[in-house]
Amino acid sequence: MDFAANLAIGFGVALTPANLAFAFLGAMVGTLIGVLPGIGPIATIAMLLPLTFHLEPVSGLIMLAGIFYGAQYGGSTTAILVNLPGETSSVVTCIDGHQMARKGRAGAALAAAAIGSFFAGCVATALIAAFAPPLARVGQSFGAPEYFSLMVLGLVAAVVLAHGSVLKAVAMIVLGLLIGLVGTDGNTGGTRFTFGIRELTDGIDVATLAIGVFGVGEIIANLARPERRRDLVAQRIARLWPTREDLRRMTPAILRGTALGSILGVLPGGGATLSAFAAYALEKKSSAEPARFGHGAIEGVAGPESANNAGAQTSFIPMLTLGIPGNAVMALMIGALTIHGIQPGPQIMTERPALFWGMIASMWIGNLMLLVINLPLIGIWVQLLRLPYRFLYLAILLFCAIGVYTVNNSTAAVMLAAFFGVVGFVLMRLECEPAPMILGFVLGPLMEENLRRAMKIAGGDPMIFVQRPISLGLLIAAALLLLLVALPAVRGKREEVFQEG
Amino acid sequence: MSDRHRPAAGSSRWHLLARPDVLSGLLFIAVAAFGLWLSRDYPIGTALRMNTGYVPRLLCWMLLGLGAIILVQGLRAPPTRLMPMPQAWRAVLSVTAALVGFGLAIERLGLVLSILLLVGIGALATRALKPVETAIAAAALIVLSWAVFIFGLGLTIPVWPDW
Repeated sequence: MDFAANLAIGFGVALTPANLAFAFLGAMVGTLIGVLPGIGPIATIAMLLPLTFHLEPVSGLIMLAGIFYGAQYGGSTTAILVNLPGETSSVVTCIDGHQMARKGRAGAALAAAAIGSFFAGCVATALIAAFAPPLARVGQSFGAPEYFSLMVLGLVAAVVLAHGSVLKAVAMIVLGLLIGLVGTDGNTGGTRFTFGIRELTDGIDVATLAIGVFGVGEIIANLARPERRRDLVAQRIARLWPTREDLRRMTPAILRGTALGSILGVLPGGGATLSAFAAYALEKKSSAEPARFGHGAIEGVAGPESANNAGAQTSFIPMLTLGIPGNAVMALMIGALTIHGIQPGPQIMTERPALFWGMIASMWIGNLMLLVINLPLIGIWVQLLRLPYRFLYLAILLFCAIGVYTVNNSTAAVMLAAFFGVVGFVLMRLECEPAPMILGFVLGPLMEENLRRAMKIAGGDPMIFVQRPISLGLLIAAALLLLLVALPAVRGKREEVFQEG
Repeated sequence: MSDRHRPAAGSSRWHLLARPDVLSGLLFIAVAAFGLWLSRDYPIGTALRMNTGYVPRLLCWMLLGLGAIILVQGLRAPPTRLMPMPQAWRAVLSVTAALVGFGLAIERLGLVLSILLLVGIGALATRALKPVETAIAAAALIVLSWAVFIFGLGLTIPVWPDW
């Protein structure tokens, strides 16, 4: 019984008082930033990344993971009560969730979201525990060509599954790859794109880039945009428990959402947002009465909320088993591992079983905590929504500044974050999604390293990528994905899925 | 989340430039050209022994091509325009200045004065903040940061100026 033994190790680690506290802290902070619009998990995790340096690696990861899935819970609260998605993954929850709230059924909507999320979280945790070990074994047999092709597939999938223009997403990835090359070339010792600035020779820290683009850039964008009116449903939330009719409708939606989210989460570029959009489309398509959607259908809350939580958690699978981040949050998780000198990859599971299984066990515990944090305490979170943005942004700006400063103890990093803040704002204005850039940034040096190694193995012959069967398979998958998205029919569908919001 | 709107009347050449896709195409081309210029002296090497410049220059050429396609598509697409953001300059300048000020001050003036500086400059980003509110925010943030970072996490950031 390997599985039971592994879980026992995991719970042994996760149930220590300190790690319980960090899971709780992560879940709390995640809910908080999920509720507050204008700050998301990427910026928060980037800000807290330097602080994890002072913690045990496993405690740090437990806390950061808690922030990520906690934000999925919190985001639904604002979506339902204020019609304002706290996170992009909750955009679709607004449609029916807010309609339910307006009809006096906010309690049932919140309960459907929380119960769906909890169920999805439990299933996804079990899936990680079951599928991670075999996947890691596959990963251990990979050589440089396979890794390179896998990263190509990952980047292609990230483009196809992101929303907005495909071409722009590709350009943003290339831009990220380029920024990732800034600094000293580890192979030849030559410096690249450093402008003669000493601080840049070590390269740019992922936290600095993410805080700049997602933290500071978002602040500027929010301030520049005229403030939107918040349509708070001010009723007392009388009845939390859903009716029997609600339960009958939401149960299949939760099951479908969990299944869909679990699959989409594993795909690179997938994760929470895509899962939620796809689940809403699925619920509407498969419903016997699609006309109810948009007017407070509880399936339209339960499905996407289950899916985004499942997707958020299964997106850990490729990061933990192959060392390849599927989305920007996972890229930061890899940053957290490397801060502690842990090389992400398939060897983590065998070399550091306590870290690996402890984190997985903590996810289940964290989901349980979130149920408690969210349902009975909902009133507190609603109060927080009354905090105007003009107070909030000063606090966020300060935490960005302190966060960046403490990563490298350098003034230059703070300047760099300010620069990337402006870059992030400009990109947002030009409707270029910045998330693929972070992905490219993290994968850039890894890809170059594996490309070099592969070329050395093959004596400079690029055919090696199509001669090795696994590598060929991965590249064919990438090509198929690209072809698919180029087909007009599929392109229409893709836009349709993202249009629901 | 629709940040674009349709122009009211016919588009002049200037309006053509104010489209998000046209501007992003130009931006990517400019970055790529700048990168190619910066890396002009980097040794390239061969596919077998890639030197410092191989991958960067490859990526710059890719970005150049992508930028050109995005630019052409943007020019041919139905016209959309950037939403005007009259407040943008104010936000960009004061947020950047607040960060730069904080970065310069933190080592010499310590946490408390740096926070005052950041909040003071940062508050200029919006007209909505009243002076009293800014003062309250600054005081609250000083207490909070001290509690979290110095007392709670024990970071070794100077709190007061180093005389």
